[in-house]
Parts: sequence; structure tokens; C-alpha cells
Amino acid sequence: MSTETKPGRREFIRAAAVAALGGGVWMAASPSAEKWVWQIDPHKCTQCGRCATHCVLNPSAVKCVHATKICGYCDLCSGYLQPAAPALDTGAENELCPTAAITRRFVEEPYFAYSIDEDLCIGCGKCVKGCGQFGNGSLYLQIKRDLCAHCNECAIARDCPSNAIERIPLSRAYVLKYDENAGEGA
Amino acid sequence: MFPYKENPMQHKQQRMIPDWAWAVLAIAVVALTLALFMTDRPDEPGEALVYDVSRYEAVADDDVRYHETARIALELDNPSGLAVDSEGRLWATGEGALLMLDETGREQARHEIDGRPDCVAVAPDGTMYLGMRDHLAVFSDTGEHHTNWETLGERAWTTEIVVDENHVFVADAGNARVYRYTHDGQILNTIGERDPERDSIGFVVPSHYLDVAFDAMGALWVSNPGKLGVEKYRADGALLTAWHQPGFATHQFPGCCNPIHIAFKSNGTLVTAEKGINRVKTFAADRSFAGVAATSEHLNAGWNAAEFPADPAPIRDLAVDTNDRILVLHGPLRAILVFEPIDAGKEKE
Repeated sequence: MSTETKPGRREFIRAAAVAALGGGVWMAASPSAEKWVWQIDPHKCTQCGRCATHCVLNPSAVKCVHATKICGYCDLCSGYLQPAAPALDTGAENELCPTAAITRRFVEEPYFAYSIDEDLCIGCGKCVKGCGQFGNGSLYLQIKRDLCAHCNECAIARDCPSNAIERIPLSRAYVLKYDENAGEGA
Repeated sequence: MFPYKENPMQHKQQRMIPDWAWAVLAIAVVALTLALFMTDRPDEPGEALVYDVSRYEAVADDDVRYHETARIALELDNPSGLAVDSEGRLWATGEGALLMLDETGREQARHEIDGRPDCVAVAPDGTMYLGMRDHLAVFSDTGEHHTNWETLGERAWTTEIVVDENHVFVADAGNARVYRYTHDGQILNTIGERDPERDSIGFVVPSHYLDVAFDAMGALWVSNPGKLGVEKYRADGALLTAWHQPGFATHQFPGCCNPIHIAFKSNGTLVTAEKGINRVKTFAADRSFAGVAATSEHLNAGWNAAEFPADPAPIRDLAVDTNDRILVLHGPLRAILVFEPIDAGKEKE
């Protein structure tokens, strides 16, 4: 009669748990391991508005960002003013942004500098569409790293009509329209 | 010990809901959960969150004075520039090539080019000038590369060229100015620079569109897109006329930077092309609105703007040929669209 004992189910589960834990620790500690995060490719984005309504966060983790390097500093900024705005000033009836998240500052005739108030921006992309359709596309949408909930499946990506939301390495973090080091389109 | 032996009533109560009902209930709960999961979608963004200018695209039927009479398909990737030479031949350029077509659109010659020219012009002697972003490349009438002119700097973006007997005028959207060259490449002067002494803010060029054209009298006109109009200059750079029409009405130029292309008919009619609201319009010599040559609906048909997010403006160039036909270089359709008056002789031009 054999004296060997067969490994029991409990031992097997214990060994598997140790292996999984060890593997996890090794992967986390490994310098090559990189986290992947959700981000919007502005060259694919069609500004459908769903970034404002489909994100699990309210307000959305998607915000408008501004590539000042390529901005035209327009007086008649189509990302700032309503189409056919009654006047070219900061009156609410003239502003395009539904939350007044864009502010502008006079630079010199006829140029204005624009900036985004991130706390007010809901990521609808209305200004992005106006800027891209009539202007040069210096406004675009990005998922802010400090706000994103890093969902396993991004609720916006699931319904994005242009598949503009994709996973990128955390080290890249953003898909910029203008990179100081790499130039436009980087 | 069985409970019914102790309390037969309890057994009866347990049987009041039969097993099959429990099964149906379980299935219903699972189905409801799945249905809720499958149909739980956030609300679609409402009107307040969507940018929409479609209401400004509508044009009254009476205002449409032209119709498309021909469409010339181009064997050319990413078309970018169009010109008509003094003999009425059409020149179209794009990725890696320059095509010469007869006035019916038949390809007569094809020249291979390194890179993608932004614009093209052909002098009366047949010399070809191609805008290569920061410089001009000059080709002989046989298509041989003759020379490259000096770079206009890293900001330069050549967007249009016109040539007459004496000069070559080059629009540079990147530097927001027009250069006047001799035919051998010497810069004589610039036009449209900021000049505080003349109280001039210069050209306002928010995006990469700045156009030049000669009218029927040979006068030089330049679009000033940030001011939403056109301006006439003397060759030395003196401003003669400025005509700006900002607004979203059909007879105005919308957005931050329009018109993007201009051309002239032989009777002095100004032809303009716009982006944002893609359309082509004509204005009589006195600049009264003469009509729409190509509507947004017409220009937006047959292609999907979502496939061209980087450059959503479909009109890549505009020209008028020697028969006064309006030629529209359509990028996504890779074609020249030819427009002629619907009712010749009854134009408002």
C-alpha cells in the first residue's frame, strides 16, 4: 500500500493563489509594465457631444483643451461665438459654450487670447466643432488624467461613433494636436 | 421526521406557489435584468450641446444661379491646387503629381512631383510654378525641374500663386502676406504686412487659407479671411479697395475666416468659395450679391466628412476657365466640378 498522499483541492487553490499573487507583484514591479489609459484621438473625433452625456462622471472627465500655438486668436472666433451672434462680445446670448467655460482676453487689434475654465467645461465639444469647421482646429477634446475613473470599459468609447477613444500608454497620457518638441500633428 | 406529520397546514402553505411559478419568476427576473442592462443608455446630447449650422446652409431656390454641367474625375491623390493657363488648359496638382488636362477634362500630360504641392500656376510662356509649403519650385514647359526659389521661412505655407507678364505673386498663409517676385525669383516687395505707420493691421489669416487672383482688368485681389472679405492692391502693396462682408446670411461670409478661395470671371464677377458652410457664390462687379453657384447640399453629397477630420473643407481650389465656367477642385471627390449658369443671360452679374 502506498504511503503517498494525493494533493488536495485546498493545497491546489493555495498554490494557485500564491502564483497569481507573485505574478501580480512581479508585473507591477517590472519596469516594462505600463498602465494603459483611455484617451481621445482628436484627429478622429467628430464632436458628437456624447463625451458630455456618456461619461460615468458628472461632469465628464473629458475637457476641451487649447493648442495656443496654432490658434488664430480670432476676433470672430467660431469656437467662442454663436453662429450669427448678435454682437461680438461676452454677452451670454453671444457665447457658444453652454456653460460659459471659455474666456477671452484682448491682446491687440484684432486679436484675442482664449482659455478654458476646466471646472466649467463639460466636454460637449461644441466649441471644438465650431473651431474645426470654420477655423483651424486649435480647440480639441481630451480625457483629463486626474479626473478619469479609468473604467475597464470606457462608457464613452462604447458609443463613440468615430472610434476616436482608444487606449494609450500612461507615459503618453495625452494625444496632443501640437507638441512643442514634435510640431503640429504630433 | 417530516414537518407535515407535525403540521400538515404548513405543507399546504408551501405548495401554494408551485415550483413552475418560481421558475417563471426567476426567468422573468433574469430577463428584466438583461433588458435593463441592454437598454440602459445615457441620453443623447440635446440641441444645446451640439454645434449645428445647417439652418444657415439653406439657400432660396431663386438664389441658385448655376448648376453642375460636368465633373472631371482626377487620377490624383489628395488634390490641392488648380489653375487655368492662357490657352484654356486645366492644371491640377496633388500628392506626387501635376496633371495637364484639356478643357473637356481629358488628361494631356502627367508630371511626377516629389511631395504634395499646395498650389500651382502656369505662366503664358509655359513655365510652371508650384507652391511647396515654404518655397516655390519652378518647372519648364516640358516638365523639367528648373529650380527651387529660396525658402520663405519655417512658418511659410504657400497657398496660391498668380503670374502675369512681369511678376509672380505668391500668397503665404503662414506669414500672412503676399510676395511679389520677379520671374527669376527675386522678391520685390511684400503685400499685407502689419504696418503701424499706415495704420494697417495687415492680413488676418487664422487658418491656412490666403488667396490671390487677378480680375479681368489685371488688378490684384487678395482675400483677407480674418476680415471676411477681399481687398484690391497695387503691385507695390498699396491698398486700393477693401470689401468685407461678415455674417451668416447667404450674401455674407461666415465664421472666422472666409472666403478661402477667390476667382474672377471676365465680366468682373467675383467668385468666392467658403468653408464651414461649404458653398460657392458670385458677386457682380459692383459687389452686389449675384447668386449661389454651388450649394452646401451639392458640395457635401457623395462623401463623408467624418473620413476627413483633419481637413474638413472639401473645396481645395477654385478657378474660372477661359469660357467663364466656374471650376471647383473637390478634394474628397477627387474631381473638378464644372458650374455654368442655369439660365445664361439672366444672371444678376
